[in-house]
Amino acid sequence: MVNDGAPDIEVVAQVLGGDGEAFGILIRRYEPGLLRFATRMLGNPDAAADAVAESLVRAYRHLAQCRDPGRLRSWLYRITGNRCRSHLARRHTNDISLSDVPAPALADSSDTWAVLERGEQVALVERALAALPAEKREAFVLKHVEGMSYEEMAAATGARIPTLKMRVHRAREALLAALEEVVR
Amino acid sequence: MSPIDPRLQEALDGERDPGDLPADLREGYALLVAATQVLKAMPPVSVASRVMAEIRQNPARVQSDGPARRLFRWLGGGRAVTVRLRPVWTLALAAGLATVLLVPWSSGIPTPGVAQGIANFVGHFPGARSVEVVGSFNDWSRGVLHLNDDDHDGIWHADAVLPAGPHEYMFVVDGERWVSDPLADHYVDDGFGAGQQNSLVIVRPVSAQP
Repeated sequence: MVNDGAPDIEVVAQVLGGDGEAFGILIRRYEPGLLRFATRMLGNPDAAADAVAESLVRAYRHLAQCRDPGRLRSWLYRITGNRCRSHLARRHTNDISLSDVPAPALADSSDTWAVLERGEQVALVERALAALPAEKREAFVLKHVEGMSYEEMAAATGARIPTLKMRVHRAREALLAALEEVVR
Repeated sequence: MSPIDPRLQEALDGERDPGDLPADLREGYALLVAATQVLKAMPPVSVASRVMAEIRQNPARVQSDGPARRLFRWLGGGRAVTVRLRPVWTLALAAGLATVLLVPWSSGIPTPGVAQGIANFVGHFPGARSVEVVGSFNDWSRGVLHLNDDDHDGIWHADAVLPAGPHEYMFVVDGERWVSDPLADHYVDDGFGAGQQNSLVIVRPVSAQP
């Protein structure tokens, strides 16, 4: 029996040994980040929840194919990223529809300026991110939101590190241009 | 959209102290960092119960029995036998293949049936302590099908009775290193999007063997 703090490699061994319930430890460990990643990729919380649920079930079914359980996190992000790409492909575009991203919130009379500012900030940033091509959006989110190293990003995406660095740099440029346009 | 000053990129990559940036670049740095903080907010949802319910409904897809029990069930399943030869690149390997082909009826391999055959796995792994095969035919389970190198020449081999048809597989060397079969007839993408490939063997039914 493994506990919640056990290393991934031990939990994976426990699951492969027949203890399916131990997979719940991995879900609790990685679900929040995967949901955030998928939400940023798809721009729609419901679609993101579907993508993550499907990815986790797929990960469970194919857990024995995880060649390096010590890098389980990257493997899970890879599966989820693939699922997000499939979802975007079904829309026949790699871009998020801006209709999926909430417009800046309108304050009612009870809102404070701070709340209004916060709501506007979130919508503004989400829309700027949604306007990026999927590959750049993925690279930016993995690097700056999920806090991955470029090595982890390479494992999670299959792309080469120089390619990923270029995508992150271009994403920053596009985001900064979009944000500065509004701020100024 | 104009290129960002390289110093700002370096600061965002953690390679430069943002405090050293000129004022105009510090503004851009602060804007991007603030945007990142906004995006780090966690979605207030969970799919854990949904995923676990799905897993509980069909728990048997992941290995749930011990290797011995799985092997016993697999071997006891009334399988048939065919022989599959792969090209050899050394005389030693040819000798190993010949040995394998001559021995199967006395080495415990089940009697061949109509729609199944023997897959012959051979790999050159000098210095390896163990080599096994995992694949779609055994749910990618470790500990089921081990290769042997009885004469310690670095050439490992094993036979397996498999249903006729295509099967994806990989060698696992020393329990940790996953290796494609360099002599595989075909390779297929492993489906996880990183460009990794599984080896593919197509087992012919015994009735189709010359």
